[in-house]
Amino acid sequence: MKKVDLSIDFLGVHCENPFFLSSSPVCHNYEMISKAFDAGWGGVFYKTVGVFIADECSPRFDTHRKEGTPFIGFKNMEQISEYSWQENAEIIKKLKKDYPTKVMGVSIMGSNEEEWALLAREMTKAGADILELNFSCPQMTSHAMGSDVGQNTELVEKYTRIVCENTHVPVIAKMTPNITHIEVPSIAAKKGGAAAVSAINTIKSICGIDVENMCGRPVVNGVSSISGYSGAAVKPIALRFIAQLKQHPELQGFPVSGIGGVETWQDAVEFLLLGAENIQVTTAVMQYGYRIVEDLKEGLAFFMEEHGYTSLRDFIGKAVPNIIPCENLDRSFQIVPKIDYDKCVGCGRCYTSCFDGSHQAIDWDADKHRPTITDRCVGCHLCLNVCPVKDCITPGEIKFKKGKEAHEVKIQHDFDYLP
Amino acid sequence: MTQVRKLAYGEKSEPAYDVRLAMQEAARCLLCIDAPCSQDCPVGTNPSKFIRSIRFRNFKGAAKTIRENNILGASCGKICPQERLCEKGCSRCGIDKPIQIGRLQSFAMEQEKIFGMKVLEKAPSCGKKVACIGAGPSSLGAAAELAKRGVAVTIFDENKEPGGLLRYGITPSRLDDATIDQDIAAIKELGVTFEQNHKVSREEVAELAKKFDAVYVGVGLSTSKVLKFVKGWDKQGVDTALNFLKNARVKNGQIGDLGKVVIIGGGDVAMDCASTAKQLGAKSVNVVFIETMEEMPASKKELDYITELGVPVLPFFKPLEIKGESKVEAISFASMDDESQVTFKADTVIFAVGQAPTEGFADLKQDGNIFLGGDMVVSRGRTVVESVQSGKEAAFAIADFLKI
Ligand SMILES: Cc1cc2nc3c(=O)[nH]c(=O)nc-3n(C[C@H](O)[C@H](O)[C@H](O)COP(=O)(O)O)c2cc1C
Ligand code: SF4
Ligand code: SF4
Ligand code: SF4
Repeated sequence: MKKVDLSIDFLGVHCENPFFLSSSPVCHNYEMISKAFDAGWGGVFYKTVGVFIADECSPRFDTHRKEGTPFIGFKNMEQISEYSWQENAEIIKKLKKDYPTKVMGVSIMGSNEEEWALLAREMTKAGADILELNFSCPQMTSHAMGSDVGQNTELVEKYTRIVCENTHVPVIAKMTPNITHIEVPSIAAKKGGAAAVSAINTIKSICGIDVENMCGRPVVNGVSSISGYSGAAVKPIALRFIAQLKQHPELQGFPVSGIGGVETWQDAVEFLLLGAENIQVTTAVMQYGYRIVEDLKEGLAFFMEEHGYTSLRDFIGKAVPNIIPCENLDRSFQIVPKIDYDKCVGCGRCYTSCFDGSHQAIDWDADKHRPTITDRCVGCHLCLNVCPVKDCITPGEIKFKKGKEAHEVKIQHDFDYLP
Repeated sequence: MTQVRKLAYGEKSEPAYDVRLAMQEAARCLLCIDAPCSQDCPVGTNPSKFIRSIRFRNFKGAAKTIRENNILGASCGKICPQERLCEKGCSRCGIDKPIQIGRLQSFAMEQEKIFGMKVLEKAPSCGKKVACIGAGPSSLGAAAELAKRGVAVTIFDENKEPGGLLRYGITPSRLDDATIDQDIAAIKELGVTFEQNHKVSREEVAELAKKFDAVYVGVGLSTSKVLKFVKGWDKQGVDTALNFLKNARVKNGQIGDLGKVVIIGGGDVAMDCASTAKQLGAKSVNVVFIETMEEMPASKKELDYITELGVPVLPFFKPLEIKGESKVEAISFASMDDESQVTFKADTVIFAVGQAPTEGFADLKQDGNIFLGGDMVVSRGRTVVESVQSGKEAAFAIADFLKI
């Protein structure tokens, strides 16, 4: 493989690659961050520094599982750094000195104007390349901090402005997904002087209930709290927020750092295509370790080589115009799936789902154990999505609705892009 | 067994994973640190790394890791006895069963093919040239390693196609030509040249030693042993394992009626003979060997495979006599404790009782710029992957010798 350039200038800061650790326990001290840098991460957003020092509960994590061993969603009840800002400043200074080419973003959170100003000044002094303002932690023990602030446009604008007045480095506002229109506080942050926003922080959740204790998980001495959800399961929601940000008229050209459920280079490419210029990761690192950056980088490089891209900017944002309002979709055709009978194993999942969940458009031959798609098919592709056999049901004939003119129609690629 | 598997000669013995199945298997991997699988690969293929790459959808990266570490990565995925190498200590055994590393390896190498990846590139010349004798696993391993250092390598080999034992010793259901060719292509990418149909005699070794800066001899153990204490060993219808397998492969299975077949030996080669005979339509196939089931040298995978094909095995019996006029008609055995005897009617008897060095090469010693490796010198279990490693090590020695 030729050497592919993964570097990008983000907010005027040169990043050797777009992969950053997002503010969380994966980057809360010197030892960890130096290991992460050595492993190949391009930068970090240092675990949120506050004047407030967090006092954490135990246990503090829970998971959302599906069949199989790895979990797909993750809930945490952590707040911000457990160290004083002075201790954190020392760590940041040392990291900046020992890793001059890596990017030190520092996440900060104050509870009033003085604290925001102080943190901005001190973290800039310590060597932060970028300041990220945490307006989005959903489980702070004070309503003067976290996602309660992030939902309040006045506070977002005010605090952003104060930070900008107290630093010379670019400022990113980290937004909460616990809101319908993430654009609104983002516009406020922009007005306050932010150079970009990052999204998403965690989603308020209850992962599950301990039915014997009759209490949410994790059980903290018999009770629990609503708190932040992250990991692979939140990626669809994160992508949606990124698209909303990139499409808003008042935010055109306003950079976004993408966060939420990134595990693979393919996830990262999806964020980049929706316009993110920087990628942040926490849960996948908590689950699998810093080493995942090896495959993130290499996989991204192979992708770029394959497509002839020489820079990330060659494809960043290319999917943004292709997310359109539902009312504008071309509804003139139906793509009837086709079944490859050589591949079909006769499980009948397509039949069951089509009958019970769609339009009773599959006939089932009980003797031969084979499905046939009939002309009741509406082209919803439920069958295609439930079929367990790769490439057994695929998009087939394109039928145009009565009175609609035939035209070219783009077909979706299989998720795996591979045989 | 009520269900015996029918498999045509050359038909794939194990279906390949598609991407979904590969992901499902990779998701079972525990992504261990200090992974036992990686420690147990003789040639350092680093399964834990390539499985992790698959898990994180970096399929090309997985192929790259394999190809860089194991020049015969495609072939090894299919034929290594994983259950006693990388899969043996797999941490997942503590939960249920090991990760199917071989199949994941084959899946990754399939990506190399699909994408026409060229992982290895020709290195700048270092001005030295080396001859490698034999185009089997160890020679290929040595050649690739030297070529990576910029050595101009020429391989001399007696067969029509390169691969040695890979191509002519292993049954094509387990290892098809396309897979071998894929590995050979990677070696050619490194700039190695092949001189096929060139049998190097013992005398010619010295000549080559003059023409080249060094010579690597990796001719392997290409002659099958025959137990000459068995009366009637020279009757018509008696064959040796390697001869039988090669003949079948060269003639693409068209080797005439085998009748009833008895195979003597309990190793992987005997198992390959058994499956081949079965696939070629032998009336019956029996495998008899002197070891107990516990001591039998064949890998479990191989034994399971012939069992699936409906081949019975008889452990703990030694051959006594091959009967018949000029042609084989029967063969008698006695149990190792001499308690019982058994006679099989037979038309074909195949000795699969180990291999001996290639004629004329038995007493060849490492000398001056002549280096040896592969099955001629290792007796570590004689797997392809160990031969590759032996070739690699010889290449390191040659590199030291040439000061490159
Ligand atoms: C245990 C844990 C602690 C976190 N702490 C912080 C924090 O201190 N500051 C912050 O801005 N985000 C925090 N986050 C949110 C993450 O930075 C990130 O936005 C979120 O987890 C989504 O990304 P992911 O799916 O890659 O984990 C935390 C997340 C987790 C799981
Ligand atoms: S992960 Fe580490 S810190 Fe957390 S409970 Fe286990 S041992 Fe303790
Ligand atoms: S779901 Fe797929 S495999 Fe199952 S019956 Fe339908 S087409 Fe065949
Ligand atoms: S030992 Fe098994 S579980 Fe562990 S990394 Fe290797 S294949 Fe995966």
